[in-house]
Amino acid sequence: MIGFLIRRLLIAIPTILLISVFVFALQKLLPGDPVLAMAGEERDPAVLEFLREKYHLNDPLHRQYLSWIGGAVQGDLGVSLRTQQPVLTLIGEKLPVTIQLAVMALIIALVIGVPTGVISAYRKGSLIDWGANLVALSGLSIPNFWLGIMLILLVSVKWGLLPASGYVPLSEDPLQSIRTMIMPAFVLGTGLAATLMRHTRSAMLGVLRSDYVRTARAKGLSERVVVIKHALRNALVPIVTVTTLLFGELLAGAVLTEQIFTIPGFGKLVVDAVFNRDYAVVQGIVLCTAVAFIAMNILADAIYRILNPRMRDEQ
Amino acid sequence: MVSGAHMTESTPLLQVTDLSIRFAGVPGNLVDGVSLTLNAGETLCVVGESGCGKSLTALALMGLLPMPPARRMSGQAIFEGQDLFDMPLEALKDIRGNRMAMIFQEPMTSLNPAIKVGEQIAEAVRRHKGVNREQARARALEMLRRVRIPAPEKRLDEYPHQMSGGMRQRAMIAMALANDPALLIADEPTTALDVTVQAQVLDLMRTLQRETNAALIMITHDLGVVAEMADTVVVMYAGRIVEAGPVRKVFEDPQHPYTIGLMSSMPDLGPRGGRLVTIPGVVPPADAMPEGCRFAARCPFAGADCAAAPPLRDLGDRHRVACWRAPLEFGAPDLAAHPAAQGAAS
Repeated sequence: MIGFLIRRLLIAIPTILLISVFVFALQKLLPGDPVLAMAGEERDPAVLEFLREKYHLNDPLHRQYLSWIGGAVQGDLGVSLRTQQPVLTLIGEKLPVTIQLAVMALIIALVIGVPTGVISAYRKGSLIDWGANLVALSGLSIPNFWLGIMLILLVSVKWGLLPASGYVPLSEDPLQSIRTMIMPAFVLGTGLAATLMRHTRSAMLGVLRSDYVRTARAKGLSERVVVIKHALRNALVPIVTVTTLLFGELLAGAVLTEQIFTIPGFGKLVVDAVFNRDYAVVQGIVLCTAVAFIAMNILADAIYRILNPRMRDEQ
Repeated sequence: MVSGAHMTESTPLLQVTDLSIRFAGVPGNLVDGVSLTLNAGETLCVVGESGCGKSLTALALMGLLPMPPARRMSGQAIFEGQDLFDMPLEALKDIRGNRMAMIFQEPMTSLNPAIKVGEQIAEAVRRHKGVNREQARARALEMLRRVRIPAPEKRLDEYPHQMSGGMRQRAMIAMALANDPALLIADEPTTALDVTVQAQVLDLMRTLQRETNAALIMITHDLGVVAEMADTVVVMYAGRIVEAGPVRKVFEDPQHPYTIGLMSSMPDLGPRGGRLVTIPGVVPPADAMPEGCRFAARCPFAGADCAAAPPLRDLGDRHRVACWRAPLEFGAPDLAAHPAAQGAAS
């Protein structure tokens, strides 16, 4: 397992470098001039030239790339062209917020999605199966922003049970932090639960038909043992895949929900940076997201190897 | 035999009467009025081609028929004094894997790929014998040793994919016999194995059967296996038993035209020299089963009376045949001379 992880990490390095080149190149190809955005009303050519010099925007592209990636390796992603704050600090502030939101949403999604998927596959064609599918379909169809607004209206405004917005760091006051996060996490989680339920159901349907499930029944084992120990274990691989993909999606895709609940998260940082042509921030964010995706993939592969012994013998 | 003690010598271990199975959307019975008798320690082979209902019969006994779409229309299966078809599922679960166990055709897919082989055996012991983990593991090790798996201590913690096909089937046998069942059902246990391994596995099953005195129902399409293993044989065709009896009787004096055709098509049993005989025609599809004898359309001796289903008649010495022509006055008829066979050969 250790060897496997080292191998995967080594393979990840060229992948990340390749992504960094793409990120850098794409950014340069996009229309719009960051210096104009920075200068605002100021159109004096001398000022613009000064800014270009200051941020090395007149250097050849490969020099610009090398100095950026060289800094990145040392943990320096440059400073925001707009606010002058170091990009790493900006990301360090916002990323934990979104990670907390994503983890809480995923837990909610797993707790709802996997058991309903299992039950719905086991009782295929029954009223429970139909009901679960109906709820899942509605879960997928209801827009997050609508559900978010309705929840705020009911839970916060009408019943006054939970704060409608804001953010408290987990390290400061864990309980209050979870209280402020639970509604947005629920909004995100229910949508994902529907996806997870559908995938769990189809994976379980395949496994429940397999010969080894029949063997388990032939041993006289109880249905609980047959379904959980013999079937679900083998159905987990696709569920893990979907879960890691969803996590990646959550990091960048929670913008709307963050906006509704005014959570100072990653999503807002991304949107602001793009609109302000804040090159350094956008590049840093995309690079961080890419690293996070690769890390999640390695984690998923490691879990596969735990779940599926056949994969352990593969190189 | 612990639980056999209360039964008299003449009571069979298993008595199946009039078992019929139907599939949703298919008008004909896929298993039609099958009756079997099996005594303790005896080996019964069920032969027939794919789709003749032999596996369905076995799965029905274990309560493992996929329901739906399968549906049992009639039948009784008295095993150790209880009707397997007429008991709560929980009671049946106490019997299967315990007094009655099953081995399947494909050892690769029949073992759980994510669970260690030792645990797959041990969990069956824990389920039925109320022992702790260590005792169950010790029993699993003992069983691996008994099925002659080399280095059993090491194999205990291996996964199925780390074993060869023959070894996997041995592990399946170990699992099935772990609780000393009175009845072992084996559904084509050697079909998926290499020829050399087949012989070893059959040999092992025979040895273990002698040691444990378990009765064996062996489902196969291989008459060589029947000749090697069986005390009695049941020949099935299109869901019905067409011939049954002591193996020597059926092999030496086959009475049903289908049995005769089956034997002529075996290289070892058929006529020496010349081409192997094939039975002309195909099995009638499940949705178009004829009212009368289901073999009539392929039978060289079929007549007007075959429009009515022939009952299974006893010709003496427990030799039973479902054919209006039996007992045959002459020796085995020459199937190759049948016009349909000649048409197929040219």
